Amino acid sequence: MTALLALCRKELASLFATPTAYLVLTMVALVTALIFFDHLRLYNQILFVYATATMGGFDADAIPDHVNLWNNVFAPVMENLGLTLMAAVPLVTMRAFAEERARGTDELLLATGLGPGRIVLGKFAVCFLFVALMMLVSFVYPCTAVRQGGIGMEHLAAVFTGLLLHGLALASIGLVCSAFTSSQLVAAVSGWAVAFLLWDFSWANAFVSEPVAAFLDAISLHPRFGSFSEGLVSLANLAYYAGLPLVAMALARLSFDLRRIGS
Amino acid sequence: MSGAAAGPPHAPAPGRAPEISVRGLSRRFGPHTALADVDLDVPAGAIFALLGANGAGKTTFLRIVTGTLLPSAGEVHVAGISPADDPARVQARIGYVMETSRLYPELRVQGFLRFLAGVRGLARAEREAAVERAIERFELAPVAKRLVGNLSKGYQQRVSLAQAFLHDPPLVIVDEPTGGLDPVQRREVQELLRALRGERTILLSTHDLGEARELADRVAVLHAGRLVAEGAAAELLGRGDPLALFRAAPAEAGR
Repeated sequence: MTALLALCRKELASLFATPTAYLVLTMVALVTALIFFDHLRLYNQILFVYATATMGGFDADAIPDHVNLWNNVFAPVMENLGLTLMAAVPLVTMRAFAEERARGTDELLLATGLGPGRIVLGKFAVCFLFVALMMLVSFVYPCTAVRQGGIGMEHLAAVFTGLLLHGLALASIGLVCSAFTSSQLVAAVSGWAVAFLLWDFSWANAFVSEPVAAFLDAISLHPRFGSFSEGLVSLANLAYYAGLPLVAMALARLSFDLRRIGS
Repeated sequence: MSGAAAGPPHAPAPGRAPEISVRGLSRRFGPHTALADVDLDVPAGAIFALLGANGAGKTTFLRIVTGTLLPSAGEVHVAGISPADDPARVQARIGYVMETSRLYPELRVQGFLRFLAGVRGLARAEREAAVERAIERFELAPVAKRLVGNLSKGYQQRVSLAQAFLHDPPLVIVDEPTGGLDPVQRREVQELLRALRGERTILLSTHDLGEARELADRVAVLHAGRLVAEGAAAELLGRGDPLALFRAAPAEAGR
């Protein structure tokens, strides 16, 4: 445990030693704010158009039910936030393993007896922590809107859980990509590519058989994320999001074994 | 150098089992053979130099001994433990000094040493004492709070040496300790290594004949992955043209 904590402390120090972490946090906060306030502005415009349509002054009863804070602000902001994270998270995860490999310090770490398992665990833990911080930063505005709109805390908790799990899934993908290369650029680009590919496979339905389409749907990120965004928490979706980091950790661990075997 | 500040001595003891025992060691990378059928014993308590030109297989040998690379064939034992089967136990006995650039430039010297002591599993009080000892022994006090990346190569190599002694290992493996250093820095690092004589086993990889002659008790010469000569440093490097060893075939050089 001492060794793992030492690695986590060092990973945090290294993460915040470069401007990347600060830039990514700032970028996500700014983009979220921009998307949120833009949707809020549009929502207010729509409200105004409906309420003044009768030309008899402001009439709140003239606003249809489907025009509400949830449908017009919260849901689209969540969708956009999911995509924003896909762009931002690989920028954080790219250095985790690739930088160590490029500098040769991975061998120094391995020679300390820390072991690949604990190295993988420590690096995943710190990246997960960072993603959770990113979630907190980006969740402030939607929370404000939700409280104003009278949406229940259970619903909000489900959405936040979904967003967090989505972020952790993206971090897992990025970390695996980083574990198999010594180039941070390759790690980031492949992280984006895999995440965007996994985002939604519905486009492939027309080209593949039904079982394959069902399989592709089962491994897609978007249906699970969308389900949480609607406030629905299912065991299957939780299992998906729990399984993805475990598979990713196993693959990252495998990258160490493959290098030990060499070729 | 304050050499007396170190932990318990590991004096060479004739008749003791070798610290490292290698039998029939081979390592291939695809079609390329990096090591071929190497047999070698590194006596406990000795400074043992592994000599060879670049690409001779020295670093591959060290990586196998440290357990970070598996052999294609043959057996290696460090104090009777196989690094292939139980790398963690072997690594607990080893301090590994890699080339200068393999450090964390974003950490401060003290922070870097604390981190390495931490991953070695030293508890807080023990860790602080080990870091203090290493800073004193390797004269790092003036740069303890500076970033590793801002240090001269000579100081970086001292930091690299210091981290290898934090957990007081009986075996220290040093890969190309003076590569890229200027003559003054080279002399300083060599003096640090000389101060360790008799204290614990040192396995030194180098392509510098002079360094091997000055520092080592025994020498093994690798050429294209094969062990071409092995013996007492004074005897092996003191006769004829030692450079011939770098080019010799095994049969010519003898054992």
